[in-house]
Amino acid sequence: MRKETKEYNFDWNMWTILENASKTADGFRKEYETLLNYIPNYRNVLDAFVRHGEPGILFLKIIAKYSNDCVRAHIEGRKTAGVTFCFATPVLYAFNIQPVTLEPWSVLGTVVLKRGTSEFLDYCSELGFTETSCSSQRGSLGAYLCDLATKLDFVVYDSPGICDTNANSFAFAASYLDIPFYQLNYPSTLTDERAKEYHHADFKGLISFLEEQTGRKPDMEKLREIMKENKRQDELTCELLDLQRLKPSPMPPIYELMLYGGRFMMNGTKEYTQLLESMVAHTRKKAEAGKAGTTSGNERARGLFCYIDHYTTDGRLWDFLDKRDISHMGSILFNFWQKDSLYAAGKEDEGYNLEDESLEAIIDSLADQMSRMPMVKQIRGPYDAPGMWLDDTLGAINIMKPDFVVYMGTMGCRNTWGMVKPFVRDLEKHGIPTLYIYADSFDDRVQSWEAVADKLEEFLKIRKIIT
Amino acid sequence: MMNEWKEIANTMENTYLRKWKESGRAAVGYPCTYVPDEVIYAADILPYRLRGTGTTSSSIGDTYFGPVICSFPKCVLQLAGEGRFNFLDGTIIVPGCDSMRRLDECWRKAADDYKGILPGFFHYFGVPHKVTDYSLMWFYEETLKLKEKLEKHFGVTITDKALKVAISVYNESRKLLMQLDKLRVKDKPVINGEDALSIILASTAIPRDEFNKMLRKTLSQLEIKKETIKGKKRLMLVGSINDDPEFMKVIEDCGAVIVTDTMCFGSRSYSDLTEEEGDPLFALAKRYLNHAYCPRMFGYYKPRLKNIMDRAKKAKVDGIILQNIRFCDLHGSENGIFERDLEKEGIPCMRMEREYGPLTESGRVKMRIDAFLERIS
Ligand code: SF4
Ligand code: SF4
Repeated sequence: MRKETKEYNFDWNMWTILENASKTADGFRKEYETLLNYIPNYRNVLDAFVRHGEPGILFLKIIAKYSNDCVRAHIEGRKTAGVTFCFATPVLYAFNIQPVTLEPWSVLGTVVLKRGTSEFLDYCSELGFTETSCSSQRGSLGAYLCDLATKLDFVVYDSPGICDTNANSFAFAASYLDIPFYQLNYPSTLTDERAKEYHHADFKGLISFLEEQTGRKPDMEKLREIMKENKRQDELTCELLDLQRLKPSPMPPIYELMLYGGRFMMNGTKEYTQLLESMVAHTRKKAEAGKAGTTSGNERARGLFCYIDHYTTDGRLWDFLDKRDISHMGSILFNFWQKDSLYAAGKEDEGYNLEDESLEAIIDSLADQMSRMPMVKQIRGPYDAPGMWLDDTLGAINIMKPDFVVYMGTMGCRNTWGMVKPFVRDLEKHGIPTLYIYADSFDDRVQSWEAVADKLEEFLKIRKIIT
Repeated sequence: MMNEWKEIANTMENTYLRKWKESGRAAVGYPCTYVPDEVIYAADILPYRLRGTGTTSSSIGDTYFGPVICSFPKCVLQLAGEGRFNFLDGTIIVPGCDSMRRLDECWRKAADDYKGILPGFFHYFGVPHKVTDYSLMWFYEETLKLKEKLEKHFGVTITDKALKVAISVYNESRKLLMQLDKLRVKDKPVINGEDALSIILASTAIPRDEFNKMLRKTLSQLEIKKETIKGKKRLMLVGSINDDPEFMKVIEDCGAVIVTDTMCFGSRSYSDLTEEEGDPLFALAKRYLNHAYCPRMFGYYKPRLKNIMDRAKKAKVDGIILQNIRFCDLHGSENGIFERDLEKEGIPCMRMEREYGPLTESGRVKMRIDAFLERIS
């Protein structure tokens, strides 16, 4: 690692950048435009958020608040838990624990920093963590391992049984840093009684672990409040998805990132509700005007990203889509499977419902929510089993009516790379043009963004999606 | 006798297996040490551990699996696609790791293109990643489900009595293998790692009672063997799967002898016994979920480290080879921390990433081993 990189704490450095970024739109236009010249590495993505008006600015504020919360957790007497993005955080807030979610930190570093998170990615490998591991954790994990970020008090992860490489990152972190950990482990089935009992028992173990680590009981009042907020957020999300499916889709492509990014960072908070309300209002306006969410207001194609997006420096994926008038019809990251959501219609047993009548009901419903998180739901079993990845993708295709599907992931993703070829073949058999891209969403060095963009372009042309 | 072991280890359809099949009995493949073979054995079916040896191409493996996948399951799929597992009447898939669990879909999808490669019995066996009372219950139910499915598919009844017999045969087998261990860790070992691996491999490819008979004979020969291995560096092998005696040979030919290991085609498969009292199925579930953990069991780093240290001490090793197959993040990453902690204890370690399959990189492996031996000499 370069000496300069060690000069600043990664998260502190990111927080100052993000905090300032969130304030840029507060000034005068001229000030803002001058300022953009000083941030060549992420000016486009910042500008994209600011251009989207209130929702974009609220999202910037969420990022700033989240990074501030992480950096200041210990000063404010809160414990920190290293978690993964598919971990539903309300339970942590009930113990006043600050979730430090590795993947959003990796995305932020990748999008904002000049060299992305390459030095932290490589630092992990220097310590013996395989370079073939998933970059989505590795990108920021390096900073936590080399003591260039807020100390993690313990680790809680819910990927065992879902994704080895993810689980392995947290197991590695716990062993390397010699800190306590708790794993939620998932069976390969979802809806049967056995699986449900397993989820619930395992979740109770988590509660005991958190009690032990914090020396306190969960604050039930706070938990109820968060769940209420969460319910409202689920309703707003359903509304947004309903709007998103219109033709043309009135939802701007970058909203997709804001939807799941906001949820991963600030699930159950007032700030996230406010963001969703704003997104719904803006999308509704576009829908009323019959316009697409793209800058031009036109829609030439609709793309579904069946796994994750690509977080290249300066967030160029969304710009790519916007410039070509392509609507983003969602990714696996925004499938949260609340019972009332569009995609859960007719599959209610695959969804969750937050209940707050009794302590038992609250805990069990939180366990249900956790077991339906993106990826936790879909890639636990064979991809072609009921309710798994293929089923969910076909369901999304049915609702969102995309013209094409793209798989992008990370090179570390044994799980999806283990079967993505037959998966793509199955989608093609269903008549949907599908592309899988050999690239890494968090590490441009595996395949440059330009090469990825070329591949996308070529695919859109050859398959006559955009002529 | 050693030649017979080697022949079994190096051939897919060994003579014992052929005879078994000729007698009209079935064989079921399984990929991992988390499958209780005793249940299969008690049904009078031959449990046969899947391997990828003898692959000369990976064209089929690469068609269904993606590019960044461990070559072990790819080689298994390759052999399956070539019809070389067609002697199997069934296969059990285990979520050992993500690459292994996707063998499920890849094998099934390959069967759409390569007719007849999917055995009639194809079963997914869910193994939890942690040990708790409820995960043990889950695992017990999985074991019960496996038993019932075997019974239904093969039209047999697996009685408690048969399970108890199987448990005792397998326990005996493990005790014999532990005896073999003792001969390996002697100051002057009488058997090298390559030969020991051949014996261990045979334990997964022939009927266990036959295996026990053979091993008893071999042990009595080894116990009086005069010729010992001297002047070699004593090494321990840790990490990703290895079912290739040639790999051991490459290492040992550099001037070393592998005296112990924590491998799954190795000590992890026989170092824990099954309780012979009580409900046999529950005893099996308990033994298999708790047996010497591999890194697919998340959060058990310390017991694994202790296991390595204990074995290394007992075997008086001069160094440890921490190897992983490329894209095996579970073993690969843990090897990184093992290296840190073992070196701290004064045990020299060498980390090595390698490919599985036709040993195309023996030159590189040899060079690395030479350098390591030089370091510890
Ligand atoms: S992208 Fe793949 S490897 Fe990474 S966390 Fe997700 S499932 Fe795991
Ligand atoms: S060597 Fe590693 S990646 Fe390969 S099958 Fe075994 S555990 Fe999985």
